[in-house]
Amino acid sequence: MAAPKRTTPGVFVVLAVLGIAFVTLPLAGLIQRTPWSRAADVLTSDSSLTALRLSIVVATSAAVVSLVLGFPLAWVLSRSSFPGRRVVRGLVILPLVMPPVVGGVALLAVFGRRGFLGAPLNNVFGVQLTFTTPAAVLAAAFVSFPLAVLALEAGLRSLDTRLEDAAATLGGSRWYVLRRVTLPMLAPQIAAGLVLCWARALGEFGATITFAGNLQGRTQTLPLAVFERLQTDPDGAIALSLLLVAVSLAVIVGLRGRFLAAR
Amino acid sequence: MRHALAGMACLALLLPSCGGSGSERSEIIVLAAASLTGAFTKIGADFEQANPDVTVRFSFGPSDGLATQILEGAPADVFAPASPKYMDQVRSDGPGVTDQAEFARNTLAVIVPSDNPAHVGSLDDLARPGVKLVLAAVGVPAGDYARGVLANAGIQKGALANVVSNEEDVKGVVQKVLLGEADAGIVYRTDVTSGISARVREISIPDGVNVIATYPIAVIDGSDHAPAAEAFVRFVTGPAQATLRTFGFLPPS
Repeated sequence: MAAPKRTTPGVFVVLAVLGIAFVTLPLAGLIQRTPWSRAADVLTSDSSLTALRLSIVVATSAAVVSLVLGFPLAWVLSRSSFPGRRVVRGLVILPLVMPPVVGGVALLAVFGRRGFLGAPLNNVFGVQLTFTTPAAVLAAAFVSFPLAVLALEAGLRSLDTRLEDAAATLGGSRWYVLRRVTLPMLAPQIAAGLVLCWARALGEFGATITFAGNLQGRTQTLPLAVFERLQTDPDGAIALSLLLVAVSLAVIVGLRGRFLAAR
Repeated sequence: MRHALAGMACLALLLPSCGGSGSERSEIIVLAAASLTGAFTKIGADFEQANPDVTVRFSFGPSDGLATQILEGAPADVFAPASPKYMDQVRSDGPGVTDQAEFARNTLAVIVPSDNPAHVGSLDDLARPGVKLVLAAVGVPAGDYARGVLANAGIQKGALANVVSNEEDVKGVVQKVLLGEADAGIVYRTDVTSGISARVREISIPDGVNVIATYPIAVIDGSDHAPAAEAFVRFVTGPAQATLRTFGFLPPS
């Protein structure tokens, strides 16, 4: 069958080039402004390395939390039908579109020292969540959770359930089927969800500074470190930003051939 | 629908010229320290009332951050940081300033949530292990002044070990204490406004160890609205002094 020959309208080509410039120019600006002579000092400074280490710990923990909590929810959303399912899905996606600062305020209202869970936690166990690394994880997980649910739900919907049925017919228990059939088939979506959550958590700023504060080694992740440095040492902040770009770029390269491939 | 959209587009196009009514309006942008938020908002309204052809737009934030913005070429006509250090920076590394004058001074205070969960009764208590202390970050005037106070009192080591967050500006410190998340914070005395005095308790810092913050103001060179900007600076150093007193600022030395 001969496909009709398609040509790209010239105006699209122009706009496409503009689109490329829109994304790459800011990056080029960052690179152009990078004080290379100082970059090494800034990047290997104690505060930068501490922030990098903390960012990796926080983003990884947040991605794992999102995935562990997101999988059962994605299962329920994709495989059972109950009244209000669409409302639930809407609510789950809310943190994705909500301004992160508002998320931080909302987390304070629940987990803060005077929050309705935070107050008993503090009074009974003497545990205060705010200003701790777990608070930074919570803030990051809050904003990345919807991505895990969306990725896993889409994956579960596209699975061929006949394979699971076949395994069950052959005597596999529900857990066996889940472990040996469902999860392996879902591996690409799990990986994609993990990476998406990780990337979103890595960039989290507003909810973190509002809910967890800003302390080196405890809650000062890379974006917070960039922001603080920008006030006093813009050149250093640019060097640090480049590190974040490099980490993000590494994620994209790592994803190559996974779900970024066009087809 | 289409008509409504067209109407909105026309409105958007007309809007900038709406207020004009013949005479030329000028809009000045004032970058001011976060600690001036309350006082300057009132002063700006008074100034606009006295000068109907001028609109004042404020950007409040940490003085160091505002100075960086000016050095990066952000549009600004007047600068009022919480320390001469940042005015000097704009003068030497940036566009330069004219008409500089000191217009107010301020001192610091310790604030605790009204229920005072850590039983902080004096400045020295900030060094007691377990007290969750919040300061403005290093480089932010309020943060540097606060660390100066702790050094003057000789409790730097213990108190700094108690810091749980370095906030972006002094309002961040107020917010964390107000919410009850922090046990104590060091802020400007003027931050304890009537609006929050019911929810925080102020613990005064002895004069001998307190630090005096001075606030300079100046017109930024290259301002497109220099006459209006100069008028605002004159207003702040003149008629607005009474307002600054009611907000708790000390007169310039």
